Amino acid sequence: MNPTYPIYALRRLAQAVVVVLLAYVFTFVVISVLPGDPVSSTLRNPENGFTEEQIAQIVAYYGLDRPVYVQLWESLSRFVVGDFGISLRSSLPVSGTIADALPSTLALAGTALVVAIVLAFAVAYGTQRVPVRYGQGLLRSFPALFLSVPNFVIGLLLLNVFAFQLGLFSVIDPNSGWATFFAAVALGIPVSAQIAEVLITGLDHEAEQEYASVARSRGLGRTRLFFAHLLKPSSLPVVTVVALTVGELLGGALITEAVFGRAGVGSVVQSAVASQDLPVLQAVVSLAAAVFVVVNLIADLVYPLLDPRVSIVPSSPHVARRRRRTADGPPQASGPLAKEQVSAS
Amino acid sequence: MTHRRTRRALAAALGIAASIALVAGCAGQADEASSASGEDSREGGDIVFLINSLGTSWVPNESSVSSYEGNIWGQITDKLVYVDEEGAVSPWVAESWEQNDDATEFTLHLKEGVTFSDGTALDAEAVVANLDYWAFGDEEKGIIPIGLFPKTYVGAEAVDDTTVKVSFDASTLGFIPTLGYHGSILVSPETLALSKEEQADLSNFSGSGPFVVESWADGDNVVLSKRDDYAWGPEALGRTDAAYLDSITYKLVSEASTRIGALTSGQAQVIYNIQPSELDGLADQGYTIGIPRYLGFTNGYRVNVNAEPFDDALVRQSFQHAIDRQEILDTVYTEDWQAAEGIVQSNVPEASDHSDEFAYDAEQAAELLDEAGWELGPDGVRTKDGETLSVTLYPNPYLTTSSAIDELVSQQLAALGWDVSVQEYDVSTYAEKVSNDENTPLYETTRSFIDVGTVASILTSANNGEDWFGLGESDETLNDLRDRIAQATDTDLRAEAVDELQTYVLEQGLFIPVTQIVQRIYVQSPDLQGVTYNGVAYANYYTAYLED
Repeated sequence: MNPTYPIYALRRLAQAVVVVLLAYVFTFVVISVLPGDPVSSTLRNPENGFTEEQIAQIVAYYGLDRPVYVQLWESLSRFVVGDFGISLRSSLPVSGTIADALPSTLALAGTALVVAIVLAFAVAYGTQRVPVRYGQGLLRSFPALFLSVPNFVIGLLLLNVFAFQLGLFSVIDPNSGWATFFAAVALGIPVSAQIAEVLITGLDHEAEQEYASVARSRGLGRTRLFFAHLLKPSSLPVVTVVALTVGELLGGALITEAVFGRAGVGSVVQSAVASQDLPVLQAVVSLAAAVFVVVNLIADLVYPLLDPRVSIVPSSPHVARRRRRTADGPPQASGPLAKEQVSAS
Repeated sequence: MTHRRTRRALAAALGIAASIALVAGCAGQADEASSASGEDSREGGDIVFLINSLGTSWVPNESSVSSYEGNIWGQITDKLVYVDEEGAVSPWVAESWEQNDDATEFTLHLKEGVTFSDGTALDAEAVVANLDYWAFGDEEKGIIPIGLFPKTYVGAEAVDDTTVKVSFDASTLGFIPTLGYHGSILVSPETLALSKEEQADLSNFSGSGPFVVESWADGDNVVLSKRDDYAWGPEALGRTDAAYLDSITYKLVSEASTRIGALTSGQAQVIYNIQPSELDGLADQGYTIGIPRYLGFTNGYRVNVNAEPFDDALVRQSFQHAIDRQEILDTVYTEDWQAAEGIVQSNVPEASDHSDEFAYDAEQAAELLDEAGWELGPDGVRTKDGETLSVTLYPNPYLTTSSAIDELVSQQLAALGWDVSVQEYDVSTYAEKVSNDENTPLYETTRSFIDVGTVASILTSANNGEDWFGLGESDETLNDLRDRIAQATDTDLRAEAVDELQTYVLEQGLFIPVTQIVQRIYVQSPDLQGVTYNGVAYANYYTAYLED
């Protein structure tokens, strides 16, 4: 590894911290701008029958009657020392709420990522392996199909068939193996589409290269060619796409969790948004920002392993990124991600 | 309006998915095995209750009146008195009670041997602690009093272990029934002594009910198990011993079609809150529909007399007769829903039928508008002095059927020459833009109460009242009726005053009733028997059992 790597890593880390803090402040400002405050809107449920006086008393207890900048300062200084405060909705410590929700979502998102990658590779492999007359075209349309079916529809179908008809799992125990697997399939299918798309484009590009033709002319089998020569260079942009899909996995988890009755970060976000539960939302946004930053960092670390020509230039992470991407990779990838993934040299 | 369209498309898609779930469910089979232990074949069994939200917090005062948590509080706590669906009051933890002539002092006699699940005795001291907690909350801890607890409460003292004396600074005829209100749950003094944060953790909770909290996960589930030594159930339910069921699992499943699918495939025995339109299909498949009405106000609009054009009684009266309530019942609900008979639900003991006073009569409604000077223009809209006769309806976000009702009402009004718009908000925006705005012309309201005396504290601004119609204390007749209800020392006199109040409020067009309200919808497996509903429309699973 490059000896200047530690400096580069530290810079990236500092950047990450700033990103997380900015996300925190941004969330605070956005929610403060929204009309109403979370506590009084909950208490105003007509069935409660609380008087304005009683509501004001509670609003004062949570300090929500103070100026916004005072609230922001207090909240931020707590956050810096790792204290997420008390949920306005449940009155429980936010850290506990997040800690309870996280394992289920991690299991779901992790499994979904595996499902997405396996599915993407299977489809991509098929497009190189299956002759045109046996339905290669059909395989090539799979990514578009996967993207166009909303994941709640897939989720409801899987739930009906495998939970309600076949009884493989129950909505009462949504963290069991099968329940997690099928929820992950629902979540993973749309995500696999982008991975497959990028991989197919990469494979097509590599297959046209001279070395591939040479290998083929020497009588190398399609399977060997795929695994020994085409796969590795084509996987490079896939790493970037996978890193980007983390956000999608978190967003999709919200819907998937609702359909499958799973309690997780998605349902925490849902109830926090509905009740404008500021401390919880801030913890979740900061967490999501942190995850995103970390995953992208990992992607950056994986790049040099896939392609030794990728260099880390310490002077500016910006340059490092650009250089790295110009090093190699298919010249074009379809879709809006293309600019992010590669730029031809 | 892309947003609306997407939402509609989503709703349609979910509807289709739900129908698939229904059809698929027919093929599924219920595999309920109630383990018959002991001599009574009703003993034992576990049920699963799928709920669409577990609400907000578990701090008793803040959540016991919630439509969601209230289900669970009802199984793990007891009340001093039991109030049934018809408003009849009977003994529970309080065996008997007396009151003085002017209803300012009450003496409660408690059952002996009642304990909370933490072992603390439910004695007079514990009851005093609870009464103070309901009436005053705990300001230091940021805990509010329960809504609708009599504001005339002065204090209570423990005369001996089983006798409590309660005092009020004015006649409070509604005190005893209010003890059966869903907020009035008896909580162990040890739980009450905890901080707000600790009270929010349900595992710290201790009540005296037939079930105890076995485990819970915030925003996901609550598992209750039977308390074996329970022996003080309300006689009105025909049972005082421990419950039949071994456990009840409340599980949050926010997606309605998933709840339906789980019920029809036998994974759950009860599901809560689905659209009325789904009910007929489930009933046809043999599922039991529970749509208990609570004691309280009917569902309707309270009219703000300070907002034009509702400052004119003729306009309000016209509005009263402009709404075709039958059409709403036929379109939005199933035939199990009932028309409103007045401003209070017809199961309230003091209710009387006032249907004629606000009956649908488009002709009369039009005449009243003519009389008020609103002339019909060539474009079908009425105007007066260059002003258009217009109103905005804000559907109540707490009621799923509210926007459908408002759409119909807007059509009915438009036919008479109104310029109506319907503006929808989510819960938090609604609070800010509609409930808090003094100029909101029509505010859709319903409210549960156990005792009709509550009505008095709501209608005007007196005594911290909610001032429903924006009249303050300016209406002499209303003030007089309010005082007669609040200060009544005799239930017959009070019923008379309530009857007069209904007539006055309806004739003045201050409250426009629409339908009788059902806010809690239960659908349950036919195996589950013996379920009863109390006066605030919560299911009691204390007497429920699973049939083989």
